[in-house]
Amino acid sequence: MSNELTALSQQLAGVVERTGKSVAAVHGHPRFSSSGVIWRPGVIVTAEHTVRREEEVTVTLPDGTNTAATLAGSDAGTDIAVLRVEHQGGAVGKHAGGLPAAGNLALNIGRSKNSGVNATWGIISAVSGPWRTWRGGRLDAYIRLDLTMYPGSSGGVVVNVEGEPLGIATSALSRIAGLAIPATTVDRVIDEILSKGRVARGYLGVGLQPVELPDHQKGLIVLSMEPAGPAAKAGVLIGDILIALGERASADTDDVQAALEAHGVGKSVEATVLRGGASRKIGVTIGERPGRS
Amino acid sequence: MSGFGEIAERLRRSTVEVRIRGNRGGGSGVVWDPSGLVLTNAHVARAGEAEVELWDGRRLAARVASRDPRRDLALLRILADGLEPATPGDSGALRPGELVMAVGSPLGFAGALSRGAVHSIGPIDGMGTQTWIRAGVRLAPGNSGGPLANARGEVIGINTAIVNGLGVAIPSNTAADFVARGPRPALGVALQPVPLGLLLMDVEAEGAAASASLRAGDVLLLSLDELHKALDSGAEVLRLRFLRGAADAGNERLPVREASVRLAARRAEAA
Repeated sequence: MSNELTALSQQLAGVVERTGKSVAAVHGHPRFSSSGVIWRPGVIVTAEHTVRREEEVTVTLPDGTNTAATLAGSDAGTDIAVLRVEHQGGAVGKHAGGLPAAGNLALNIGRSKNSGVNATWGIISAVSGPWRTWRGGRLDAYIRLDLTMYPGSSGGVVVNVEGEPLGIATSALSRIAGLAIPATTVDRVIDEILSKGRVARGYLGVGLQPVELPDHQKGLIVLSMEPAGPAAKAGVLIGDILIALGERASADTDDVQAALEAHGVGKSVEATVLRGGASRKIGVTIGERPGRS
Repeated sequence: MSGFGEIAERLRRSTVEVRIRGNRGGGSGVVWDPSGLVLTNAHVARAGEAEVELWDGRRLAARVASRDPRRDLALLRILADGLEPATPGDSGALRPGELVMAVGSPLGFAGALSRGAVHSIGPIDGMGTQTWIRAGVRLAPGNSGGPLANARGEVIGINTAIVNGLGVAIPSNTAADFVARGPRPALGVALQPVPLGLLLMDVEAEGAAASASLRAGDVLLLSLDELHKALDSGAEVLRLRFLRGAADAGNERLPVREASVRLAARRAEAA
């Protein structure tokens, strides 16, 4: 007996079988394993929060063999870690870079050492534009998944029913649902990590708190300062109220992040601050946010 | 044209509720053939007598015809007309990503349907070396023993457990082997892994271990995986090394004893 449900079922299983040939299990955490995707030949992408070792990360490849992987770099902000392996096997299919629509069917395909390839099935529950994660990274889109994230699901590849990669699944960027880190963001972060070893994020070395100003403007008051940080070197003082960075008004810390991204590490940017009620401009050279240590 | 609803309706007619007298809760079962064989989990059919409720509301006394605690399978025998047996599928051909649905009596809701996709097929850490089907279907106590079916409505698994939120099912090919050839050899003991090996917690009076004079408190000097491998090797007699009195021995060195356990022979071919 054949029916539409059988046809869909076979299509989904076919996508899992084909895509699974580019999905590995990643053993980078003392307590659990996750999944990873051979995004390019020799390059495996996984969710950064599942990698808690810098050395002795191993992966179980699609053919079932275990091999050592080296951590090329990772970006906590976007929850992406990039591993290198000797294996030159097939990378996951190309993506068109387009966004899915809410309601589209999706699969998350992962792998575990013992039971091989695994899949969960659901729908894309929401899609919207560029978005900053609570970890501070910028994603090209917000893609929320209505599919259950099980232990080991993070780092798997989210594909549509045609098998086109939409992104990398993570359970660490939202409390309410799994998200897909968009494929274009994965590309960008891999490029940056492979060329520079890390994703450099702009840094002022200040702690900021939003405040309401008398003229209904908003600003950010400097509450703390890294002693030898970029802002301190430029002469910013605790108590200054930042109202603009470059051309961009600073009503919120998101504005500061966006301004830092727009200018880039090493570039000089003019900060407009209120000190004692008077506005003044201070040139600050954007530093690089120190890594986790 | 068949959708989830039509397939589930047919599946419901082959699914029963299983209750053990005097026990709260219960499980589900699958009508396996029209003569009245009902497949369920061994952990559902614990006692020798059970009560089965069919989809049409008929309540029938059931006798536990056969149990295989190692594979968590049991066969019940009922007497009824007009039974609609399930169609077994080939679990060996199942692939991750295939659509599946589970019918059973989760938390007592008879005939409830859950749907999802096959997550993975293979062994599970800490659950031996056997193959399990894991599926992203929402199960609850009461689904145990009930069918997991593919998009054609063929039963490809017996829902057995929930691990990390995933439904875990015994493959239908394993169930078919049990129905055709009976239970796999067993020692007839309750075990607990201890640092030295396997501690016998309880020994069934008529079981293979009891006949070989093994007693509760003895410690078998092998791992669970090794024991399962030995039991499935096809050997008629197992020579098991064990310690007696290990609990009271303190630092005293105990002699290693050996028991010859004669296993019940299995039927070679389908009956």
